[in-house]
Amino acid sequence: MSNVVVLDNGAGVIKAGIGGERDPTAIVPNSMGRPLSSKKWLMADQLLSPDVDLTSATARRPFDRGYLINPDLQSSIWSHIFSNLLKITPSHSSLLLTEPLFNLPSIQRSIDEIVFEDFNFKALYVSDSPSLVHLYEASRRPYGLVSKAQCSLVVDCGFSFTHASPVFQNFTLNYAVKRLDLGGKALSNYLKELVSYRSVNLMDESFLMDHVKEELCFVSLDLPRDLQIARKPGKDNLFRCTYVLPDGITHTKGFLKDPEEPKRYLPLYDEALQQVAEEQIDMDRLENTDNSEDRNRRNGSKIDLTKNEFGLTNERFLVPEMMFRPADLGLNQAGLAECIHRAISSCHSHLHPVLYESIILTGGSTLFPHFAKRLEMDLRPLVPDKYRLKITTQEDPILGVWRGGSLLASSPDFDAMCITKAEYEELGSARCRKRFFH
Amino acid sequence: MDEETSNSARRMSMRTRKIAPKMAAALASSDNRTQAMLSRLDALESDNAVVEPQLLDDDDEASLDDEDQVFHKYPKGTKRKTRQAKALENKRAPKSFLELLNEANLESLPPHVPTYLRAAVGPPSSIARRHFCTVCGFSSTYTCVQCGMRFCSIKCRTIHNDTRCLKFVA
Repeated sequence: MSNVVVLDNGAGVIKAGIGGERDPTAIVPNSMGRPLSSKKWLMADQLLSPDVDLTSATARRPFDRGYLINPDLQSSIWSHIFSNLLKITPSHSSLLLTEPLFNLPSIQRSIDEIVFEDFNFKALYVSDSPSLVHLYEASRRPYGLVSKAQCSLVVDCGFSFTHASPVFQNFTLNYAVKRLDLGGKALSNYLKELVSYRSVNLMDESFLMDHVKEELCFVSLDLPRDLQIARKPGKDNLFRCTYVLPDGITHTKGFLKDPEEPKRYLPLYDEALQQVAEEQIDMDRLENTDNSEDRNRRNGSKIDLTKNEFGLTNERFLVPEMMFRPADLGLNQAGLAECIHRAISSCHSHLHPVLYESIILTGGSTLFPHFAKRLEMDLRPLVPDKYRLKITTQEDPILGVWRGGSLLASSPDFDAMCITKAEYEELGSARCRKRFFH
Repeated sequence: MDEETSNSARRMSMRTRKIAPKMAAALASSDNRTQAMLSRLDALESDNAVVEPQLLDDDDEASLDDEDQVFHKYPKGTKRKTRQAKALENKRAPKSFLELLNEANLESLPPHVPTYLRAAVGPPSSIARRHFCTVCGFSSTYTCVQCGMRFCSIKCRTIHNDTRCLKFVA
């Protein structure tokens, strides 16, 4: 059997590797970026190298609102990945590709063109991500509910949008899928807008803001209380964090001023820790009374303007909060919990109890701390009391889809499920696509 | 958008109100507010804050620099089209997703076919919109009468008026 290239072609990050392996070879941004100082566009993995200065870099992405709009750009990014990172020859391999749900026929056609005409792949299988996630989770726990009932509800919080999709017998029930038009990109941009208005203008720093969001944002479990705490001055404000901007000379990447600072609020969320933390705060107070300079530094309340840094307080939890209440942003859509509820309600009523008990979270935006817990808090009131509710986050939400793909690619029937190049040439894109049932 | 309708409903009360014409104009311009809101939401999906002009390959760009001076000799509007400029026009910018969506004409499909449009989750059921101060982020009680953005205190109002009020719409 020849090798199968598994390509989870996300709008934000491409996960690419050889089928049958556990982890993808390449996890690279699906974009090109051009630093301010140069004329050369950097491709995918080159953006990740530590010595690249991405300050005010311009980005180009082949995806817009989750769908492929620029096939030429995508094709050049793929060819870079295939030749430099995976080191494969497309004409000797098959391709397993993921595509977003409800992909438009015109986009499917252009993808097929790239795959068979530009790269000359031997065969192609196109899958949607929820079914792969389901496949992976079912195989991990052969005696769990997901694999016994052969159904699950996959919540994929991606880069451009969030889908709640019921999967049954490895097929996504597309009539029941619900989409929320909020994803990691919108959240990063929202944070960027807030910071730019309130402290430093960072409107050009998309790459930097992604890092800030990943490092500092979390989901609040009790919003009114946290807002109150975020209002407090000085050290009582457990949420205040300071982020140092790159200066372009000594460091080209931003970093946290104090790596321990973001964790200061954690005792609020964990009762066992609470006791310890309170004692520690008392101790700190005693120590700090005579060392005012040290106190100021720890407080983070004095933002040193000469040093190019900015502080975050309530932004840290108000940004991910928008996933749960998009209406607050002015987006006229229901929140994530209601999204899941509606998706499940669209299914046959026999499936409801099982689906509520097998909710799987995947996608990079579920990595915010306390995401699953908050979702459960929001979802419980919507779910009938007689049903149990169980939300599992995948162990690696970014790679979950790829691992499912890798599993599928190594299954013995995989070759039979593909469309081959000969079939494509004979039948054309539209008729070949009918085979994938979505 | 919801807010606009509820506001107008409130203004339908029986009591006749006298307001300054300028203010009336500002209140009536719910169009502008919706527009500003939509453009804010749109901005959340953009890659770069500044929209770039259509880009050339590197060597093209270098050679165009020389030609720039040629362009300037001609008065505006009667720019001579070089071969490169023509080639550039043919190399269209990729369509945005919304354009592709329009072209796909999904509305014409029968109602039982699940499509991109029908998968959208739809408006929230009951939960009222919470408002956060646009200046400091805490829950806000006041609305700016001119632009409809929210603030929570006099202090924040001053900042709002100085920095942001009506600057989004204009």
